[in-house]
Amino acid sequence: MKLWYSFTKELILSSKSWYFYIELGMAIILLLVLLFVVPEDFDSKSEEYMYLDVPQVVKDRYRDNLKDEDLDEESQMVEVEADKRTFQAEFYETDESEIYILDNMEALNAFSSGERVPTVHVRVNEENQIVHTYYLQGYETQKLKNLLLVFHNRKAGYDVIEDYSDNIPVRSLYQNIEPLSDRENVIPVFLTFNGSLMSLFIIAAYIFLDKSEGIIKAYAVTASSVWHYLLSKIGVIIVTSIATSLIITIPIMGLQPNYFAMLLFIITSGFFAASLGLYITSFYKDIIQAFGVLYIVIVIMIMPNISYFTPSWDPDWIKIIPSYVMLQSFKEIISINGNIAYVLVASLGFAVLGLDIFILANHRFKKTLTL
Amino acid sequence: MIKVKNLYHSYSNDENYAVDDVSFEISKGEIFGFLGPSGAGKSTTQNILTGLLQLQKGEVEVAGYDVKHIKNKMFNKIGMSFEQSNVYNKMSGLENLEFYGKLFDVDTRNPMELIKMVGLDGKENIKAGKYSKGMKHRLTFARSMINNPELWFLDEPTTGLDPAIASNIKDIIKEENNKGVTIFLTTHNMYIADELCDRVAFIVDGKIRLIDSPKELKLKYGEKLVEVEYLREGKPIKESYSTVVEEEKNQLIKVIKENNIQTMHTKEATLEEIFIKVTGRGLV
Repeated sequence: MKLWYSFTKELILSSKSWYFYIELGMAIILLLVLLFVVPEDFDSKSEEYMYLDVPQVVKDRYRDNLKDEDLDEESQMVEVEADKRTFQAEFYETDESEIYILDNMEALNAFSSGERVPTVHVRVNEENQIVHTYYLQGYETQKLKNLLLVFHNRKAGYDVIEDYSDNIPVRSLYQNIEPLSDRENVIPVFLTFNGSLMSLFIIAAYIFLDKSEGIIKAYAVTASSVWHYLLSKIGVIIVTSIATSLIITIPIMGLQPNYFAMLLFIITSGFFAASLGLYITSFYKDIIQAFGVLYIVIVIMIMPNISYFTPSWDPDWIKIIPSYVMLQSFKEIISINGNIAYVLVASLGFAVLGLDIFILANHRFKKTLTL
Repeated sequence: MIKVKNLYHSYSNDENYAVDDVSFEISKGEIFGFLGPSGAGKSTTQNILTGLLQLQKGEVEVAGYDVKHIKNKMFNKIGMSFEQSNVYNKMSGLENLEFYGKLFDVDTRNPMELIKMVGLDGKENIKAGKYSKGMKHRLTFARSMINNPELWFLDEPTTGLDPAIASNIKDIIKEENNKGVTIFLTTHNMYIADELCDRVAFIVDGKIRLIDSPKELKLKYGEKLVEVEYLREGKPIKESYSTVVEEEKNQLIKVIKENNIQTMHTKEATLEEIFIKVTGRGLV
């Protein structure tokens, strides 16, 4: 009952503080960013500019090939600008590229020199061979240059490449689950950092404020336990995390996420993060003294983001950082046919770990009430 | 009500003790003053007694509970008024008291009654953050009574209060004591200690130098003199006579009979003078 009184009191105090509204406001801003700034899918197609300086029959052959690969199997005549001049171009869009066939060498030079983009001049030499001249910009990797060399010297390397590529094992990152759109893919990052991990820093701010005002001492000389006080703080932070997470998720994902798993995971991961925050704060008198450790924790927790957005870089050591598990869990929660067993195991892990750290933090607080 | 035996405490966990072999006992219903300058070890001792600091070495029993294995139940019996006000600034005075009242397992006092008692009625619904320093101090003081404590720890209860309110606070302390409440008063204000305490302990550099009642201390350390001021042939004369030496006692009687006495008082030593005499230290 005392725990409930403490919790409701903390909830009332939070609702009277600016910080509570800043958190809700921030969640709304993140939602607006996702809706209006982050595209549904990032455009990752490369742009290619070509000038076909070849006989008409070869040109037609090129065009036919491009049309076969084009999404609507049609070309479009478009105007393109380069070096403050306008040129006519034929436009083809394939799964991987946007290809512009330019009219003349002048247009190609304008793109190469003025716009600093790689261009290709295709011509026929004296021996009636088709020659591709690439105007690179200097920032291309040696791998790309080698690839182009091999690609245009098929006799020398094509068989080798074909054999090699046929034997490469390909593992799909998505098994039964539907891949998320680029916009949806950003949501786990926001949920991890604005929801679960912010608990770590918010509780530090709350505790240091109470320490400076001597509130903890006053609480410690009542018949209520210090852990009631600490847990009620955590409870309020988790409630805030749930509210901000739902603000971000519902408008974008609708009913797709598994909300039961989401609530469970926010509670357990938030409990873990807040307990860790409590434990850190128990060693310091004020937030300035604690800032060094908090900064290190921030940097470590940010690192799994690299792996999240670059799945090919996934070393074992990064998997033990809690934010890695949080990112992956939130991804599973919002995906269709996501791996809920993974989420449940992660929730159990965070609950057990959080409880251990909470017990340690409570022990530390009892010893350092007069700090 | 309180038993302290060979209490030691070191903040650096070495032999540099902030509290050094302190022993004393306080009976039920007593007002015990713990007097000393800043840094003497008053707050450290009080923090150990109230469980805010962990007991390192020694034996401490408070309200029947061993402080080494402190239990929440103990706090149902004790109240603590802090020197630094520590109330929830975003809650009103009344809300503060109502909330703290819910944290005890015993019948608590009516918050409004306490608000009135410390003169905050009419301001009970104002946020404590908008209170003046003195008002917050009174709220902290009122909060310490919410659970009807049997043992009441008061840390500088009148510091920062104007004389009228300080007098009101002293009256409340006396009233509560008359009801049987035991009071542990920590202060460096000798006047309030002199007025309220049944016994006082002088603590300096972590050690208790003396424990006795203010009355006994004055008898023991005060000069046994009467200072008389009278007019002789229109001129003011000021003389002192011993109340112990027979000859001087007779002279005093003669002066009283034959002259127009302007002022006359016994020359008692103040607690502060005795403290300085005993400890060789001032109180600031």
